[in-house]
Order: sequence, then C-alpha cells, then structure tokens
Amino acid sequence: MDQSGSITTPDAHCMAVEIDRSIVSDEALLKTCYWFSREFVCEIRNRNDQMADVLLTPRNAASVADLASTKDAFMTSAMDFALREKIEARTSGIRDLLLAKAFSESGVLEDEPQGVFGDAVEEAKSESMFKILGNPRP
Amino acid sequence: MARAFYPLERFAPTPPTFQLLPFRFTRLNGKELLVNEAGEFLFVPTGTVQCLADERLDTGSVLYQDLKAKQFVYDDSSSPLLDILATKVRTKFDHMCGGTKLHIFVVTLRCEHSCEYCQVSRQTATRGEFDMSPATADRAIAMMMDSPASAVTLEFQGGEPLLAFDVIQYIIPRAKQQARERGKDLDIVVCTNLACVTDDILLYFRDEGVKVSTSLDGPAFLHNKNRPRPGHNSYEKAIEGIERSRAILGMENVAALMTTTAASLDHAAAIVDEYVRREFHSIFLRPISPYGFAVKTRHRTGYEMDRFLEFYKEGLAHILKVNHDGYRIAEVYTQILLTKILTPHSTRYVDMQSPAGEAWSVLVYNYDGDVYASDESRMLAEMRDWTFRLGNVHKDTRRSLFTGDPALQLFQASCNQALAGCSDCAFQPYCAADPVYHHATQGDMYGHRPTSGFCARNMEVITHLFSLIEENDRNTMRILWSWVTGKPLTKEVVACA
Repeated sequence: MDQSGSITTPDAHCMAVEIDRSIVSDEALLKTCYWFSREFVCEIRNRNDQMADVLLTPRNAASVADLASTKDAFMTSAMDFALREKIEARTSGIRDLLLAKAFSESGVLEDEPQGVFGDAVEEAKSESMFKILGNPRP
Repeated sequence: MARAFYPLERFAPTPPTFQLLPFRFTRLNGKELLVNEAGEFLFVPTGTVQCLADERLDTGSVLYQDLKAKQFVYDDSSSPLLDILATKVRTKFDHMCGGTKLHIFVVTLRCEHSCEYCQVSRQTATRGEFDMSPATADRAIAMMMDSPASAVTLEFQGGEPLLAFDVIQYIIPRAKQQARERGKDLDIVVCTNLACVTDDILLYFRDEGVKVSTSLDGPAFLHNKNRPRPGHNSYEKAIEGIERSRAILGMENVAALMTTTAASLDHAAAIVDEYVRREFHSIFLRPISPYGFAVKTRHRTGYEMDRFLEFYKEGLAHILKVNHDGYRIAEVYTQILLTKILTPHSTRYVDMQSPAGEAWSVLVYNYDGDVYASDESRMLAEMRDWTFRLGNVHKDTRRSLFTGDPALQLFQASCNQALAGCSDCAFQPYCAADPVYHHATQGDMYGHRPTSGFCARNMEVITHLFSLIEENDRNTMRILWSWVTGKPLTKEVVACA
C-alpha cells in the first residue's frame, strides 16, 4: 500500500482504479487495499483533492488473468467499506452503551458508563429496572 | 351484528422514524447478510444496507419488521428491548465467565510413536527425566485449583501419557481431594494413542471416572502411514484399545480425533466411513497444526489451506449424506460454528474464542513446570520459541502468570473486535483472534488476515455454512439442528432421505 514515490504507468499487467475521495474516505480506501494486498501490490496516488488512482499490480501470474474483474471487485469493496463507515458513525455510541451494559455487572469497568439506556417510560420511574447500574439520571 | 377487530395500526402504529443498532454486513449469494453484535443474522435483499444508512426504509414493510425483530433497528415501541440485546451480547461472551477451565498436564514427553506430524519433540520411551515430578505435579494441581472456575477439566497429554501412568496415578487422587475441598467439579480426560493401554489401566480409569480421547486418522492404510510405530500396527493397536476402552469405560466415555495430513486429502469419505464403521457419532475434520515437529516435516505432511477446505467440504457433504441415510454423526467444527451462529451461546472450544482462549480458557503445565498459554504455545517452545511461556509453577502464582509481560502481550492481540481485518468482518461474533497461530505462521500475534490460513479457513467454512442456511434445505437443516441441540435425528429426516 505504497502512497509515495513515482507512479508506474498502467500496462497490461496492472490495473488503475479511479476513486472519488469525497465518496471513499482514506480509511475505507486503506481497508480495501488491505484486503486486496494478498493478490496485488496496491499503490495509491492522489491525482488532486477530489480524485485518486489506485494502481493494482498482481503479485503472481494467476492474478493477471483476473484483472478484468478486479476493478469491479475493488470498487464494490471500497463502496462497502464506505457504507460500513456510515453505519459505524451512526451506531458507535449505542455499541459502546450495549457493551457497557453487557459487562456492567462483571465488576471490570473502571468507570461507570455514561448515558441512558432502555425504555424511556421505565427510565422516568424512580425505581427503574432498565438502567445501566449506577448510571446517573439525565 | 357484525363486529370487526381494530386495524393493525391501532396496536402497532407505523413509527415515523427509526434508529440503527450496530451491525456488520457482507454479501453472499446475491443477498446481503447482516450480523448484529450478538451474532444474530438476517439475509436481506441487496441494497437494504444502503437504504438503512440513508434512512430510506419503509417502516411499514415486512422487511422493517424483520430488521426490528432481529434487532438491527429500533424505534419508540421497541426501545425496551435494547436491554435484551445487551443480555444477548453478554451471553455470547459467556465463555469468559469463571476463568480458566481447561488445564492440560503434560506428564511426559516420552512416546513410542514417531508420527511425522507430531507437534511435540517426543523422547524415547525409556527416558524418565522427561516425566513430571511429584513436586511439579503438586504445584500444578494447586495452580489449577486457584482458577476461579467452579468446574475444571484436567487433561493428561504427552508424549504418550500412559507411559507415565504412575504420574497420572499420583495426580488424580490429589486433584480430586483439592477439588472437593474447594467445592469444584472436576472432569478428567486422558489423551492417549491407546497402544500401551491395559485392562488394569482402564479399570483404574473406570473407577476414577476418567474419559479417554484417542487418535484415529482414518482407515488402516492412512492411520498407519500417519502414525508410524514399531511393528507398523498403530491402527490395530488403536482399534483394539478403543474396543477395550468402550467395554470397560462405556461407549460415551471414549472419543477419537483425527488429523488431516497431505495423505488424508484424497480420502475424506473413507475417513468418515471409518468413523461410522467404528460407531463414533462425531468426527472433527482438523487441519494439521503449523507447530512443533509438523513444521520440520511439512514438505511431506503439509498442504495449502485451499486444499484442506476442499477436503472439509467433501467430508461435510459425505457426513450429511450419512446422516440422511439414518446414521447420526456430527462434524465437530461445523457443530461449534453453528452453535455460535444459530444459538445465543458461545462454546468452550478454546481455539475459536474472542478474547482468545489462550490462557483465559486453557493453561498447559509442562512436565518441567513451565506454564504455557495453550498446547500450541508449548509446541512453539519445542521449536525454541518461548514467547507464550507465561511462567513456571515453582516460581509463579496465578496472579503473576496473568500479569506478566508474555500474558499481557498475548491479551493485547486476543480480541478480534480490535484487529485489522476483523473489526469490520460480518463473521466476527463467530470467529476468533488466535494470536499464537499468527505468531507461529506470520511472526506477528496480530496477524495479516488477507494471507492468514486461520482467516481463510474460517471465512470459507462460515461462508459455506451460511450458504447451507440460506439454501434452507429441510433435511439438511434438521440434521444441522440435531448437531447443535445434541438431539437424535428425527424419523422424518431418515424417511425423506
């Protein structure tokens, strides 16, 4: 996953994939390259602020034959990682709460988890059953 | 007078908005497979994840109700159920409760076999200096009992542990006494090739409630090729030992394991048929381990993971056919993974846990008192790599074992939730980290998943199992459920076959 140095001109033995950086973040692109690194050397070159090229060079002859399908697979993978980022951004908070709740009775947490968790009606009750243990009422 | 029920909307109004719950996804057979934090899954049409991310899902649709029921989304009416999801997540980690449960005692390195794939540097059968001493055994028993687990398993390994039967006889009564004093349940298993077993030994095992686990690699030609010994009769000895053990201990107390070598790869069906012929009801299609002596002979015994996966699929297909024909035999690795996929629970199989089972779930006490994080860790030490030697029973306590540098380095790489390549993987709740394997094969406990044999195996096997689940063949699913639940095959399966 080389991101520096001079770019090699694509030839019959490698494939250039054009990436719109406004759609696929750096992290999503690196994760995609990570999974393609078994079969390909992945070289990322920033064309400008908006676009980047990823040059995929097969590590062995067998992969050369698959070059035609590689571009589609790479783009699909990159878009999936971009999608995962969107899901992650919207759910990371509740994931933390879920894990905190799941392990709150284990006695291993150094700090009490922040935030409320559970049924809003039950939460409003003075003897709520649906709360993280010791969690302050909002 | 005509009466009518209130419309559905009165009881379950369509929510105006919904919230996402954390999940991961992958693409499989033209669909999207969603898996949540508790390992619950749902196949949905392609494009569903994008709709969820863009909040474009019709909250009145059946798809929305399915996603809500499986806790991929929630709304005002389902928010109380979030506590249930947290409970499910905790249940998925129940293998962590109680501390180390499996305690392996390597009572000797001596062995009369010379298996090419053996993971241990065996010693000749007469060299008593490679036996565990009473003092070491006493300290190892004490350390085992220091585990907070309410039930522990004591497993004797070697070498060939029956060559040190006197050591076994020394350990068992002392372990039982301490278990009684500490209020712990104690299971005892001996892993033996049975070549040296006698009726006296088996009668002792029967009286002490000891179970036997042995090796059976397949039919005679294959077993004897894999497991050379003087007389070239390992298979005959194993079969004779299995029959005698069953006669004295009972069928249910004798198990067998196989190891897949290069010589095994073309004989998946024959290996399964051998287990059926010998009336076993489980078989574990295990790849060869990349440790110990197996590394020195890998040019003869080793193979690429792709080839093993072909073997696994061929073997599993044959096992399913055997079940279809009416004989119940479960493939153990499939059973382990399906338990994780189809039930709320994890399993006690230490090689497939996250946090990794090494040390948390298993400790190995070597004949010389050294304590290792797993059997594979000990095998690495046989290759002069002591990375996972946690300490020694004569110098350490359980606390110092678990707070020393080797343990802490291991633990840092033991959660697949935090590993590159794993953190986004849909199969994460079913899979593991296995830092020992990756240290051994890649020189890095964290590992490089795209080139990892561990990752390749589990991605392929789990994908295959999900394909079977998605295919939803009635008879196949009844067989798989019988493996997961441990119940007999229903007559309907046999009748429909």
